[in-house]
Amino acid sequence: MSASAIFVLDLKGKVLICRNYKGDVDMAEIDHFIPLLMQQEEEGMICPVITRGTVHFMWIKHSNLYLVATTNKNSNASLVYSFLYKLVEVFTEYFKELEEESIQDNFVVVYELLDELMDFGFPQTTDSKILQEYITQEGTKLEVAKTKVPTTVTNAVSWRSEGIKYKKNEVFIDVIESINVLVNANGSVMSSDIVGSIKLKTMLSGMPELRLGLNDRVLFSLTGRDKGKTVMMEDVKFHQCVRLSRFDSDRTISFIPPDGESELMSYRINTHVKPLIWIESVIEKFSHSRVEIMVKAKGQFKKQSVANNVEIRVPVPSDADSPKFKTSTGSAKYVPEKDLVLWTIKSFPGGKEFLMRAHFGLPSVEKDELEGKPPITVKFEIPYFTVSGIQVRYMKIIEKSGYQALPWVRYITQSGDYQLRTNA
Amino acid sequence: MPYLGGEETVRELKRALSNPNVQSEPLRYRNTVLRVVRAMSQGVNVSGLFSEMVKACATVDVVQKKLVYMFLCSYASLNPELSLLVINTLRKDCQDPNPMVRSLALRNMSNLRLPSLVEYVEQPLTAGLRDRAACVRRVAVLGWAKLYNLQSGSDIDAAVVNELYSLLRDPDPVVMVNCLRALDEILKEEGGVVINKPITHHLLNRMKECDVWGQCEVLRVLQRYRPQSDDELFDILSLLDASLVSPHPPVMAATLSLFLSLCADLPAVSLAALERVSGPLLAACGSGSREMRFTALCHIQLLMRSVPGLMGPHFKRFFCGYAEPAYIKQRKMQIMVELVNDENVSMLLDELKGYCTDVNTDTAQAAIQAIGHIGRSYSDRCLEILTGLLGLKQDHITSAVVQTLRDLVWVCPQCSDTVCSALEGCEETLQDSQGRQALLWLLGVYGDGVSSAPYTLEAFIDGVRSEVSLGVKMELLTATMRLFLTRPAETQDMLGRLLHYCIEEETDMCVRDLGLLYYHLLKCGVEETRNVLQGRRSDPSLGVLIGRPAEPISQWACSFNTLEPLKKGGTVTQTASRGSPEHEASKPKTAVELPETLDCSHIHTDPPDSASTGQRSDSAAELPAASLTLSLSPTLSPEEFERRWLQRCSLRSEEAAEESNDFLQTEDRIYCSAVLQRSPQTLQAAMQLVNIQTLAFTPPSTLPWRVFFYTHTAGTPASTLILGELLYAGEADPTPKDEEEEERKADGEAAAEELTGREDRQVEVKVTLKQQPKDEEAVRAFLSVLSTVLHTLSSERHDEHAATHV
Repeated sequence: MSASAIFVLDLKGKVLICRNYKGDVDMAEIDHFIPLLMQQEEEGMICPVITRGTVHFMWIKHSNLYLVATTNKNSNASLVYSFLYKLVEVFTEYFKELEEESIQDNFVVVYELLDELMDFGFPQTTDSKILQEYITQEGTKLEVAKTKVPTTVTNAVSWRSEGIKYKKNEVFIDVIESINVLVNANGSVMSSDIVGSIKLKTMLSGMPELRLGLNDRVLFSLTGRDKGKTVMMEDVKFHQCVRLSRFDSDRTISFIPPDGESELMSYRINTHVKPLIWIESVIEKFSHSRVEIMVKAKGQFKKQSVANNVEIRVPVPSDADSPKFKTSTGSAKYVPEKDLVLWTIKSFPGGKEFLMRAHFGLPSVEKDELEGKPPITVKFEIPYFTVSGIQVRYMKIIEKSGYQALPWVRYITQSGDYQLRTNA
Repeated sequence: MPYLGGEETVRELKRALSNPNVQSEPLRYRNTVLRVVRAMSQGVNVSGLFSEMVKACATVDVVQKKLVYMFLCSYASLNPELSLLVINTLRKDCQDPNPMVRSLALRNMSNLRLPSLVEYVEQPLTAGLRDRAACVRRVAVLGWAKLYNLQSGSDIDAAVVNELYSLLRDPDPVVMVNCLRALDEILKEEGGVVINKPITHHLLNRMKECDVWGQCEVLRVLQRYRPQSDDELFDILSLLDASLVSPHPPVMAATLSLFLSLCADLPAVSLAALERVSGPLLAACGSGSREMRFTALCHIQLLMRSVPGLMGPHFKRFFCGYAEPAYIKQRKMQIMVELVNDENVSMLLDELKGYCTDVNTDTAQAAIQAIGHIGRSYSDRCLEILTGLLGLKQDHITSAVVQTLRDLVWVCPQCSDTVCSALEGCEETLQDSQGRQALLWLLGVYGDGVSSAPYTLEAFIDGVRSEVSLGVKMELLTATMRLFLTRPAETQDMLGRLLHYCIEEETDMCVRDLGLLYYHLLKCGVEETRNVLQGRRSDPSLGVLIGRPAEPISQWACSFNTLEPLKKGGTVTQTASRGSPEHEASKPKTAVELPETLDCSHIHTDPPDSASTGQRSDSAAELPAASLTLSLSPTLSPEEFERRWLQRCSLRSEEAAEESNDFLQTEDRIYCSAVLQRSPQTLQAAMQLVNIQTLAFTPPSTLPWRVFFYTHTAGTPASTLILGELLYAGEADPTPKDEEEEERKADGEAAAEELTGREDRQVEVKVTLKQQPKDEEAVRAFLSVLSTVLHTLSSERHDEHAATHV
């Protein structure tokens, strides 16, 4: 891949921090980046790779920062972007929020991290769990020569250090599924899929061996068992702690977990999901006078379940005024800066149907430019339920000291990219 | 970057750094150093503090060390002499019991990038390679790469190279991967690290231990290895199979790249690999990061060049989300256009129609162009959408629609009526010069179908003085000239005014010259003018090649997984040019999967099914040229083809062709059913099988239906080039042909075939062949090959017909 240098810029293009890894691209080249980007923006042809002469800038934007990698080689694009996103991930784990202020405030740590993450343009140690072992924010407090050598840098189990102790041994497992849905204006589901993630919060002493059992269809057909519902997972991605060879041979998920919070695995399920919250909308626009909006929301999930914090965002014309609302439940609010109505329902039981009506005035002088047709988007969270039906069947915890540990499992289904197009 | 108060800051920092009170308080000292580094990254020139900073690195505080080292590395090149002072501290740190300190010192020592210091760095680097701690070895290995990078061209120390090769067996996977990287850098001149069989197998076995970056590096390096046997190759491939469907897009892409390079000679395996990655690639298209999505889309486009149908069933995955950035939407649209077929066309068009009103005008225009492109095969539906869009009266939409209509009508002249009726009133909403140019072109060429055309032109002519666009003026001149030829009464007066303005008042030389040219042309008489302006143009149907031919993978394999595919504008929307319609035709690609030459004799001995073709091929076998060999190379570009074709036309008009020694032109008829309904792709594939390259088609079921093709015959006495045209002009005349042509049929069997043909809804396809140099036997043999192909195609669909037809 080989990136020549990495830059973190603010939105105006000022270099906040940079690291020259190879020295084969003039560091002053970065001054051309923002002007080129602006030019592309004006022409409407923004592209994640910008080329000037022999120098390529590959950039991503995160909150109020640009992260830019420069190279003069015909690099591997996906690897460079992965690295930039890795930077974001590592910085975020260190500073909670990655933004201009946190870069400024944590100057030293950022430099130290850049030093460890890459050498001579090649990624080195990029696991934030390992990095946190020896680059700490406490470093800013004075500490005379850290004599402790992080075991993890050389350890066989690089993601967990030895000698961790907890009074109470527990592990919390969160199974979180997000559903992505795109529904056409005529009500047909254009695409839908489920992105699932299993997260761990491990509070276990020593070097425990964990084994996770899921109702994985491949596993069940492998062992010839057929008990109840199984789930076909695609694109399964594991944390590096999971022994892939064992998963490949007999679908066992066995691992020594990293301490604290981590994402054990993620998966995608490409099935036709019934949209859990179904929206029917009628948006009638009477030019020069008003807009009438009627939105019907229906919970298409089990009666026992409840969707929490449901937010339905209905777009309205940007020149609309004097809003009036009527809802059968929850509350509706006009958000003029985003040109939408936000209908919030704190708790939405399955099988129920709610209605919202909105009325807006329109100015008598119509404006010329065309507006896009933003879709209705929905946000929600349904606890104690996974849309795919995936279940943790067991979690075995074995440690040589023989302590008893408790696994806790929690299921949540939430909205991902959930869009319903409107006819207006 | 200028920084106000910079000098003042530097002076103040200098004072603080040399203040003994500060130096004695570690925390204050470190904070001062921190302020220096902060100033440095803000663009203040703090190089004047170099000597003070050198002193500051003699500290036990690791964090301060790191900051100072970073400072020193940034400014070392400006102070080579002073840098020598740092070396001592660094070398001492290399002996530190703490491996973190050792690796830090080693890394920064090699980062100083000073050729003069190389001799001091070599010894610690050598020691570093044998350090107990892996983190030191990692740094030392890359340190050697940096050193050679610094003094490229210097002698390579064989001992170091050997040591690095042996470190490939290091227990730490990062050390192993760094060795690959370092050796690649050091041995750059010799083609990088040498990958032999033991190394390959070692790397493959240890790949699982590496992180994503390491795996990609290993996969990249392995591309150099050539397995010694097929068994070994397949062993490697099966080891790689798991990472081919890796959920990490970079690993998946790197594996595919390796697959393609290993299987360069096994197209079937490569194609299977492409099929296999389509799943993970699609997953990457749904990735959370838009850059990754973009990269995946660009690579999908690359794959589709060889397997056009790869993503066919997943066309819905390329529908755009509302908030996606324009660059993703445009790539998705390019892919959607390629995926159009009879089943999904209405759904795709509905989707694209939605994008036409996108707030981003470029996206909207790209969507309109995409619809125009689909219009080449599904003109009615697309014209309906496009003309409907004109009703929105938005200037950027109208402009794009008019340009798209112009490009569409150029290749599908049968659409002209619909286009003409849509044009009325467009001029009011058109603002930009591109759109107005397109409108003028349409009015000029199809002005007789647009009743208001002269009035529209008149309005343009009245405003020509204030017109700023050169293109519009030139187009206006040409359009008025053309309209004058079709509607002289209404146009004569304004043409006079326009010519007067262009010649007398216009300041731009191009317009003036064009005006003069037209003026003199008109003086030669209207007929002459007509000959020039409405003269024969290249056949538009030559340009329509629906669906690009599948390219061999080797065409793009080398650019896979690089920046290349991200940079190229896609293929579809870009070719729909905004300038004047240009002649478009895909470049024919010789298929390397097929043998370069093909002995066609087996086709004769192995008739497809029917006795009639059997009979024909028997008779063909009797011909001396039965062992005719066809070949696709050298390739002929469409332009070249057209030039030769037209050249021959003019020759014929002088009635010199038949006599000419080096040239032969013949016409023949082949009777076949159902060929017209075959998709161009099928026809093309079939023709390619016998090494006939098709260059251009009319869309299926349009009249006249045409195919242009060429081939080379190899053999005695000399190889010849055959250009050909298949033409079906409509229902065949029940009593066709004059006697001359009857006679020309050598074997006379075609007459019999014709009789049966009539009963059997067969159509008569006229074949025109032009050969150079002349070799009648080759032509006859070629004709029999051609008719076999066409008959095979017909019989595939109409087996029962074929049976009765015999």
